[in-house]
Formats: sequence, C-alpha cells, structure tokens
Amino acid sequence: MKNFALGRYLPIDSAMHRFDPRAKIAAMLILMIAIFIPAGFIGYALIGAVVLLGIYLAKMKLNFIWNAMKPMFFMLGFLLIINMLVVKTGTPLITVFGFTVYSDALSQTFYIVVRLVLMITITTTLTATTKPLDLTMGLEDLMSPLKRFHVPAHEIAMMISIALRFIPTLIEETQRIIKAQASRGVDLDEGKLKEKIMAILSLIVPLFVSSFQRAEELANAMEARGYVPDHQRTRYKQLVMQRKDTMLIVFACLVCAGMIALAVL
Amino acid sequence: MSIEIRKLSHIYNEGTTFASVALDAIDLTIQEYCMTAIIGETGSGKSTLVQHLNALLLPSKGEIQINDRIIKADEKPKQLKALRKKVGLVFQFPEYQLFEETILKDVSFGPKNFGAGEEEAEQRAKEVLKVVGLDESYYEKSPFECSGGEKRRVAIAGILAMDPEILVLDEPTAGLDPKGARDMMQLFVDIQKNYHKTILLVTHDMEHVLSYCQHVVVLSHGKIKRDCDVKTFFSNVDDLKEMKINPPAVIRLREALLAKGFKLDPSLLDMEELAKQVAKEVKR
Amino acid sequence: MNKITVRDCTFSYDKEHNAIDGISFDIEAGSYTTIIGHNGSGKSTIAKLLIDLLVKDSGSIQVDGLELNDENVYAIRSKIGIVFQNPDNQFIGATVADDIAFGLENHCVESAKMQGIIENFAAKVNMLDYLNSEPTRLSGGQKQRVAIAGVLVMNPEIIIFDEATSMLDPQGKAEINALIHEIHEQNHLTVLSITHDIEEVAGSDHVLVFDQGHKIMDGKPADILKRKQELIDLKLDIPYALKFVHALQDEGVNIDEVITMERLVDELCQLKSAS
Repeated sequence: MKNFALGRYLPIDSAMHRFDPRAKIAAMLILMIAIFIPAGFIGYALIGAVVLLGIYLAKMKLNFIWNAMKPMFFMLGFLLIINMLVVKTGTPLITVFGFTVYSDALSQTFYIVVRLVLMITITTTLTATTKPLDLTMGLEDLMSPLKRFHVPAHEIAMMISIALRFIPTLIEETQRIIKAQASRGVDLDEGKLKEKIMAILSLIVPLFVSSFQRAEELANAMEARGYVPDHQRTRYKQLVMQRKDTMLIVFACLVCAGMIALAVL
Repeated sequence: MSIEIRKLSHIYNEGTTFASVALDAIDLTIQEYCMTAIIGETGSGKSTLVQHLNALLLPSKGEIQINDRIIKADEKPKQLKALRKKVGLVFQFPEYQLFEETILKDVSFGPKNFGAGEEEAEQRAKEVLKVVGLDESYYEKSPFECSGGEKRRVAIAGILAMDPEILVLDEPTAGLDPKGARDMMQLFVDIQKNYHKTILLVTHDMEHVLSYCQHVVVLSHGKIKRDCDVKTFFSNVDDLKEMKINPPAVIRLREALLAKGFKLDPSLLDMEELAKQVAKEVKR
Repeated sequence: MNKITVRDCTFSYDKEHNAIDGISFDIEAGSYTTIIGHNGSGKSTIAKLLIDLLVKDSGSIQVDGLELNDENVYAIRSKIGIVFQNPDNQFIGATVADDIAFGLENHCVESAKMQGIIENFAAKVNMLDYLNSEPTRLSGGQKQRVAIAGVLVMNPEIIIFDEATSMLDPQGKAEINALIHEIHEQNHLTVLSITHDIEEVAGSDHVLVFDQGHKIMDGKPADILKRKQELIDLKLDIPYALKFVHALQDEGVNIDEVITMERLVDELCQLKSAS
C-alpha cells in the first residue's frame, strides 16, 4: 500500500491543504472541463503550468505523482498500440513489415496521454490535500442543491463517513479472522483449488456475517440517538468559505475561459 | 508435549518509528497436563505470547521450542502447519469464525485442513460435538441459527476436533452468563482430565483462576512478573494489590474479617473452611 | 407517577414463539433497576421495545405518562438514552468529539454551541483529553465512556444499560460501573441496567428477573436474592455474601441473610462482639 499514491491523503500542512474542500472540488471539476477543450498545444501548456503550481502549493513531491501514474502505464502503452493500428490519417512516418504508422496516431495518443496525466495529477492533488471526511463534507454540501432532484446527498455522505470510520476496524477484524482460521489449518499458499476456495470462504463469510450484525447494531444506536435520515439536522464540523477559496474557484473559471478563448482563436 | 520459551522478544513494526516491544526477553516453561492461567492487563503481551505458541507470530529475538521443533528469531521456518495442529488456539469470541453451511461441516473443517478424509473428519466432529454437549440434532443445523453460547461451543469443538495436545483459550467465558461460564469451565476441566491435555487459560476472572487452575503466569508490560502455582500466587494479598489484581471473593472476605480482628488462618482459600473458622469465632 | 409503566407487553421475532410474553412492570422515577435472566430470556428485547427499536405486538408502554406509539416515538426517544453492549458498534463518529456531537446534530442543536457542550460532557466521563482520538486507539472502557457521554448530551431522564460492561475487561467494568452509579446519584436519572453481575444487582434498588419471555420475580434485591433455589433453577447466580451466609447457617450460625460483602462483615462483627 505504501506506493499506492492514487487517492492517498498526505498528512502535512500546505497552502493547498488549507483551502476549503468545496472550493477544491469545484476548482477540480472546472479544470477537468478545461482539459477537454481543444485549445491546442498552448492550451495544454497553460493548464500544465496551473497544475504544476498546484503541486507546488501542495508541497507534493513529483515522485508521489509518478507513483499515482504507474497504474496507468500499461493502459497507455496498450492505447498507443491500438492507435498505431487504427489511425490512418496524417503524414506517414515509418513503415515496418508492410505496416505504416501515421503521425496522427502519435499525436492523438500524445494528447490523450497529456489529458490523462493532467487529470490524474489534479485528482491526486485533491485527495492528497483533503482529508477523506472533509472531502465527504464538501461533496455533501455541493450535492445538496440536488436534493430537489431526489439525490440523497446527506444519506450518501453519512454512508461514506461511516464506511471511512470503520475501515480500520474492519482491517483489524479481517486480521483476527485470518489468524483464527490459520489456527484451524487454513493455508492460503498451499492446497488445491477447492481447498483455496474454502479458505477464502472461511474468511469472507465471517466478515459478511459480522458486518450485517454490526450494521444492525449501528442502525439501532443511531436511531436511539435520534437519527432520522430525512429529518433536518445541524452539523458539528463547519466549513467556512474564505476569500481565498472564492478566488480559487474564480481562478479555475478564468483558466477555463482562457482555454475556450484559445480554442476559438 | 512440552513448550519452552527462551529469551523471547516480540517487537511490532520493528525498524519503524512505530516499533513497540510487546514481549521482552521472556523465559517460560509451560507446565504439562494441568491448567495454567495467563493473567495480565490489556496490553501486557498475553495475546502476543499466546500467538507464538502456534507460530502465528514469530520471535523477533530469542526462541521457542515446541517438543523437538525450535523456532528462532530471524528464521523463516517452513511447515508451520504441523504446529497449528499440536497447539489449538481458541480466540476470544470464537463464534465469529464460524462459516460453514452446517455445524457438522464447520467442525470437520479443521481436521480436513490437516489431512483427514471426509468420513474421518465427520467422525471426529461428531465425537467432539458430544464432548461439548451438542447432540445429533445440531449436526445439520446452520451455525448461524444457534444461540451465542451454542455457537461458541461449536467453535471450540472445531478446535478440539483437530486433537491438539495443548489447548490455549483466550477468555473463553467472555460475555457468557454466569451459568454458561461455569459450564464452559467445567467442560475444560473435564477435557483436561479425561483427555490428558495441557490447557492454557488467558483470563481476567480470578474466581476461575482459584477454582480451576493449578498454575499461574502473570504478564506485565511484556515481562513475566509471576510464574508459580495457584496457592502461592494467592498467598500474598499485598502482592496482588500491587499487581492491581482484584482477589477472589473468599480472599477479600477473609482479609476484611482479619482486619476486624477475627482469628483466621491467613492462607485460607476455601469458602467452606472459612465458614467453619468464622463460625467458631462467632459462637464463642 | 411511575417513570415507566409496561402492561401485558408481548412481542415475537418470528411469529412462532413469544420473546416477550405478557410482561408487566413499573419503574419508579430515580430508581436503579437491574434486570437479570439467562441469555434469551428477553432482557435485551424489552430494552429495545421501550424505545421502539422493536415494535411491540400488543400491550402498552408508557413513559412519563406518554403512551408509546407512532406519534410519541421521537418524544419518548428523547427521554431515554441507551448504551449497548458492543463498544465498537455504537461508535459512529470518526473521533470522540464527532461521536458525542452525533446526538446534538440529530436534535438540531446550534452548531456554535456544540463545542462547549461536547467538552462539558467529555469532562464528565473523563475523556476530555481524548476529544480528537479515533476509536481504534481507545480501549473498550473508554469507548463505553464516550457512548455514555453521547447519551448524556441529550439530557435523557432515563438511561438503559444493555449489558454495557459484558465485553469489557475488569478495569473497564469497574470504571463503567462507578460511572453509572455517579450518574444515577448526581444527575438523578432513572437507571435500568440489564446485567449478569449479581453483585451489581445486590447494590441496586429494584430487580426484575426474566425467564423465557416472562417476568418471574419483581422486587427489592434483598428479598429476591434470598430465593436461592429458584435463582439456581433459573441458572442465575447469588451474591457471594449470601453463599457465605448459607455456609455459616450450615455451621449453625444464626445470621441474617445479607447480600453485600460490607453488610456481611458488619453482621459478623456484631455477632462476634455479642458472643
């Protein structure tokens, strides 16, 4: 898990960490849109610069971003091969074994790669600088106008925050069950397929059963403390938008506008 | 079957900033064919110690010898499965490890993992289910249909079915009602006597230690503080207080009466005997 | 007026046999009532019925004169707090402060006021230093203390403890038992404790004994606990002091049937000085 950078929170303090999660999420979404505007090479350079600024403000090391990209390499290589086979426009570049690779194949792949790199960097910057619970709160607030369309923003946020609270507990429980079954001779390394299936079942079934029981007990505790899903409730942790947060969103909008301008010109 | 522990240390997260010493150079010989209580506050290292006995955990330093097999630190021992059969470890709230469709299948799971054939495993399962007091009506039931106490007995049967020479029980009576707890302890006493087994009991319940165990090992902050027989263990009340152990009721009563000037044998551990002596004092 | 009145209450989980079968009892305001019975006797079921986590099939439940029905559910739940057995499965917040806040959030308390209230109640249960701690870093006893604080913040008049100490180690048990007594005395709350601890019963004001969905005994611990054979038949325990009294009586000593260690020692001292 150590090198799995995609989605991981960095518990340091940086300028980026101190922005309001709602501002960061909104800015991220706006920049994502900007990435898809066909503004040519200059456009990507502009966004690239913005993203680099973001990384700097977040005190993230490039190494960290590199680790976030790693899962993508295989897919990108695959994409390059597909494009080389399929795209037949542009100027022919080389011919190998009677098969011609065209320049557009390379340029299209290049732009896809650039967009992907930008998207991954932006999302990684967001998740690295925003605690999961703050993200959840930000999402809940941003989604709440959707309540009109019956999107249960609060319930979704509640489910996510409870899930987050229980992740460490579930990990501990899994380890306990693994040890208990190991004490009964379960060996995940050896054995025929049937035995391995039984071994996995001996881990999964108890986890499921205890999770159902846990869910029931939790629901009882929540109800007993006055929780009713669609009732109004106040919130202990408050998010406060400051001037800098508004400026972040405005900045993202300007970048997007700039991209549109570049595309048109 | 003997277990000897020599200068055993266990360090969690060794080499990182989170390193913590759970066991600190422990020397211990497990007494055979009797019931030994392992006592200590939460965090004293009891669970860690107990998990070394069936090689779920390996030593960071020192070694542990189980019969002829020596496991040393910094080795990567193979064939640990055989050890798991010899030392049966029952975790706390073992009912959480049940998973099979029927009780018979769940109890057969252990023996099958150690190479028993289908029929042999089932036969073994039926025998141990009888030992824990569950009759044929339970064979085809789903383990999830039963009460908490029954589930626990099924889980214990699952370990007994492996026919371990040593049984290690981590707080087997936790959460049970008083009668359930008494029945469970009596079951272990019977198993120990009838099947000539060594039993290690991790427990907080001093009444159980007094009533059922012959030997006591006390752990504190990863070190062994006491390793003696039960009578000696309970003989020094100040000692018990210093270890923050709440003595069994008979000792508390005896001490309270001694403090009020009653003339009693200060080593009394039996309630009836105490009653006799108090009766003498009072009738005079 | 009684705080809680239950009349002919019946409930069944599976429509085959009754988990609670025609039970009636009264709980006096400010009392400390213990409920004992073997596992499966209906003890936990009745607790859930009192706050409508389970809906009774028939009978009446009144809390402070309010009949428990669909209209009054939330009002009644505000009056009754409940602490369950499993310390983990009632810890909802990501930290101690978040968890205590949960009840406040549900009752629409003003956000600005919450911090003060949380600190106040955390201090009451001795968890003020742990406000930002996550539950995985806490012991069972600590988590139960947080659960108690989380219940107290809603200013209930009644607290139910559903085997709240049975999953704790001795230290945790002692902490929580002491805290329960403190709350009972200082806050003048009505306490209902479902327990296996016969010594706790000996120290309570009122005890209900359940067996297979029926209420078998109802009265003062001093009276109920003397019914040795009945309790043994019900697979229950009797306090040590009482066992010792019986042993003394077998030795021909004429002594009152006391149920606590302190009273036993007092009685014996009196008998000794009299002889």
